[in-house]
This record gives sequence, structure tokens and C-alpha cells, in this order.
Amino acid sequence: MRSVTANDGRILARIIHLAHRFGCTYTSVASEHVGAAYRMEFAFAGPGDALRRLDAQITKLLDDDRETME
Amino acid sequence: MHTRTGAAIVLDTLESLGVETVFGYPGGAIMPLYDALYDHRIAHVLVRHEAAAVFAASGFARSTGRPGVCIATSGPGATNLITGIVDALMDNVPLIALTGQVRTTVMGTDAFQEVDVAAITHQVTKRNIVVRSIDQIEPALRAAFRLATGERPGPVLVDLPTDVLRAFEEARPQPETAIAAPAVREGPRADARALDAAVAALQSAQRPLLIVGGGTRWSGATEIFRALAAHIGAPVVSTLHGLGCAEPGDPGFLGMVGMHGWKRANLAVAKADVIFALGMRFDDRVTGDPTRFAPNAHTIVHADIDKSEFNKVVRAQVTLHGDLRETLVALDHRLARVTLPSFEAWREAACAPQEQLPRDDARHDHLSATDFLDALFAALPDDAIVATDVGQHQMWAAQRVRASHPQHFLTSGGLGSMGFGLPAAIGAQMAHPGRTVVAVVGDGGFQMSMAELATLRRHNLPVKIVLLDNRNLGMVRQWQELFYDGRYSATALPDNPEFTMLARAYGVEARLVDNANAIGAALERMLASDGPMLLHCACYPHENVWPIIPSGKSVDDLMEALPA
Repeated sequence: MRSVTANDGRILARIIHLAHRFGCTYTSVASEHVGAAYRMEFAFAGPGDALRRLDAQITKLLDDDRETME
Repeated sequence: MHTRTGAAIVLDTLESLGVETVFGYPGGAIMPLYDALYDHRIAHVLVRHEAAAVFAASGFARSTGRPGVCIATSGPGATNLITGIVDALMDNVPLIALTGQVRTTVMGTDAFQEVDVAAITHQVTKRNIVVRSIDQIEPALRAAFRLATGERPGPVLVDLPTDVLRAFEEARPQPETAIAAPAVREGPRADARALDAAVAALQSAQRPLLIVGGGTRWSGATEIFRALAAHIGAPVVSTLHGLGCAEPGDPGFLGMVGMHGWKRANLAVAKADVIFALGMRFDDRVTGDPTRFAPNAHTIVHADIDKSEFNKVVRAQVTLHGDLRETLVALDHRLARVTLPSFEAWREAACAPQEQLPRDDARHDHLSATDFLDALFAALPDDAIVATDVGQHQMWAAQRVRASHPQHFLTSGGLGSMGFGLPAAIGAQMAHPGRTVVAVVGDGGFQMSMAELATLRRHNLPVKIVLLDNRNLGMVRQWQELFYDGRYSATALPDNPEFTMLARAYGVEARLVDNANAIGAALERMLASDGPMLLHCACYPHENVWPIIPSGKSVDDLMEALPA
């Protein structure tokens, strides 16, 4: 289970698409709107190499998400 | 006091961010922006299809390092941008796509020319932003520029509903000075221990090799890379996007590596014991079978700005995460304090100076595309910019081009988008009005973008088009010949138009070249021309690209000619 906070709630959809592309499935997904951000928790199952790549991509998406319109 | 429309804010913000030129095509929802463009200082290049707008913006960005900006209306205008947006994502091109959108009050009602372009492009942009109110315009654009240019560059789409563009801002004092450029976020820096490990790997190496990739271009690392390569004294190979990074004329440069790379470059990868992979991502066209890539390398040092590239395809023993230019500067400082062994014998052995590119002999009464390209690259000035389309001509050009800087060779590498070459050349020519810009295209790709002849004429852009016409979709034909038992399905183009007449119909000078004896005079005429010109090169139809490492294979399977 990985817990993250993102400004753009659509990232969750993007992550699920990526997981599907990498041949993984999600075993658990939850999200809630907290203040101006989204708190998300998710867990994926799949081949170890794919999960590692997915994790790296999630980190990259969250890095880009730090760039806000502030 | 001063009030502006949302459209005026868009243009003023773009201008404050350094934008001088945009490429686009008008339509209903984006009309307020075009109305504001009517008397704005920003130059607009009207293309003839939105796909050309995004490729032209990409050519602008690739040849300058600055973001390219394209504009399209909602619906089909926006969807026509998508191939170019993906192309920019794959090749790390800083690109801003501005799309019109239906009014905020009708979004979601399937209104005329409504499409959820944000959803469509969600997976293929670094970010997209749907602007919901006039006060969001400026911060959205500034964030878009920061994202597009930050760390690993890429495309950002900003969707602009028509009512937001038409709205007036609340009255406020006009700013007296230009707004400052966006702050650059502090990026990652390569870890000191990893840098030490990289130096140690080099000290213990016997056959080190440097692979230079497109990250060098985007981080502005060309000069420090050249200095470092000279200091190390190891041979250098390049990916498609790394071409132009090596010092021109450096005898240690072995050429492009990979599927259609030089044999000596691929053999060097196979023999090297330590590899420095700099700003590259181990694309499958580079590695072939990744389990057989660099079989003798005990240490691969991978330097990149994008951590997710590490160990994605090829396992690296040392990873240097950070801006490539800063990483190379740090390496250079460390290397100045140590003594490296001499790699001269290995470098000389790897160089194989006698090696020639294998080639098919054209029939004596036909023009060889490779003959033409050899003559072209010998004739071009050092600062010429070459943009290619995609296919055989692209690989022939990549094997032969003498680019003196990576911003001088523009090509669609990751996505391989046919139709890229001519609009990319238009973008480059807009950015560099005094330079020679050549679009090297095939007959397939040219026919996906030839309406842009009108763009050349309208803006009197002196782009030179070298059309290598083999009356085939040549690369697919080659693969059908090699791997599909010669079953030439849908690749012959015997019904091509008369291209010189076509160009002239658009008011573009054109000349036919159909034999080797005509090459010199044709090139002389083309390079002397001060306007746009098309050279229609009627080439031998069955010339193939050699060498080739078949997809998913290794250098052991390299082919230099058709099987006997």
C-alpha cells in the first residue's frame, strides 16, 4: 500500500492506466479530497519488474504534480 | 487603468515568457485568441493542418532549446495535435499546446466541436490544465512553461474555453515592467559517492565507451561533454538524438549505434568493459535484445535527469541522477584530480577508420539516395539545420550527417512520426531566418505534409526540400523484403504525383534530379536559391538501409546485405 498526496486528483486515473499498461492490476484504491489536495492510497499486484517501473513512474508523476499554479 | 480580455492575457503572458512566434490554425472556439493575435507583436505562422503546427513548434524547440508553442481550436483541431504531442513526449521536447474549448457553461453537453482533450492527452503530456476562469490564465501558462522546460522537458497542454478568452479582467494597474521569468525549481544532483564510483570504474577500465544521447542536447551539455570525452580519450558512439554532440571530426567518434548504426559502433558496445550512458534511455532501437546488450560490460554508468529510466531496460551498476550538464561538470572536476590509464590502443582499434557503410549498388541509370545524401552533407555549411522525416532516408541521413551541434539535426526518434520533416524545418527556419534549413523527406512522409508548401510560400521561408522519392514506403518495403518473404503489401507508390509540378503549383521552385551526374548542379542551384525550393530526387526504388540489426536481435545478427 502506498499513500500519497497530489494536487491534481486526475493522477489517480493516470496511475491506473499506467498499471494496466504495465500488466499490473490494482488490489486496492482509495482517494479523498482533503483541503485543496487529494490523499490517495493504492496497492498493485503484478510482476516485480513491472511494479518497480510503475513505482518509479508514480514518483515521477508526483514530482511533476508539485509544480502548481501558485 | 487597463483591462484586457483573457485572450490578450494569454498573448501578453506568452510574450513575457519570451515567446516571439507561434504556429497554429484558427477555428470557432479559439477565435478570441486569433482576434487578439490580429494586432499583437507575437508572430503567427498559419499552417495548413494542425499536425503541422505541432511539428513546426517542435522543430522550433528542437533547434533552439526553447519551448515551441502551437495553437488549435477545440474538437478536431485539438485532436489533430495529438500525434505531435506524443512525439514531443517521446523525444523530450518542451512544447506548449494551446487549445480552444467550448464555453464553460456547455462543457460536458456534447456541444459542437467539444472534445475532452484534457482526458485524451492525460497520458501523453507532462500535465494538462483546463483553465476555468480568467484569473487562472496567467498562472496556468507560467506553470505550463515551468513544467515543459523543467528537468526532463516535455509537452504541456493548456485548454482555453472560449468564454474565458472573451472575458474581461477586472480593472487593475498596467504592469510597468515585464514579469520575471519563471523560477527554476532546484533539480536533483548526482550523488557524490556515485560520482566517485563512476570515476573508479573509469580508472579500472580497459575498454571504456561513452554513449551520448539526447539528454545532452536538452541540458546544454554539448560543450562539457566534448571536453570530457577529449579528457577521457575513450571512443564515443551516439544515439539518434545524440548526433551532433561529439566534436566534429573527432576520430574517436564511431557514429550512431543501434539498429541502423555503424558496425564499428555496435561492435564497440559489444566489446566495451565499462560504458558511460549519458542522457539516453536504452531505447529498443539502440539495445536490440537487452539481454545481449553490452555482454562484456561489467559496469554501466547511467547518467540521466529522469530516475525512472534507471534499470528500466538495462541494469546499471552506477546511476547518476541529475541534470546531465551538472553531472558532467562534477565528473570533469573529479577526473582532473586522478590519473586515467591510456585508452589509445582500444580507441584506435575501435575506430576502424577503413570501415565504409555497406550499400546496395544502384543500377547505373538510376540515382542512389545515399549518393545524393553524401553529396548533400558535403555541400552544406557547418551551421545548416537538417530536419528529416521518418523512414529509410532518415536512417541514411543519421548514418551520414555531419551535424556540428545536436540542434542541427532534427528528427522524430521515439515516436517515428511520418509527416514531421517539412513542418519541423518550417519551425527551425522561423527560429533561424538566416541559416540554411533542409528538410530531407521521403515520398511517403512528404505526402503527409505537402500542403505546407503553402506555408513556405506565404511566409517566404527559404526551406530546401530534398525529396528522396523511391516510389515506395521504403522502410516497410525493406522489412517486407527481409522478413516477410517479399510480400509487398501496400508499400508501392507507383502513382505518386509529379512533385515538381506540385511544388510549382504552390509557387515553390522545383527541380528534378534523376541521375548521379545531375547531383552537383542541382545542389549548387538549391543552396544558391534565396527562397524555398524542392529537389525531387527520383531514386533507385530498391536501395536498402545497411547495416541492420533485426528487431530484438544483437550485433551478432547484423546484416550488411540481402541474404545470398
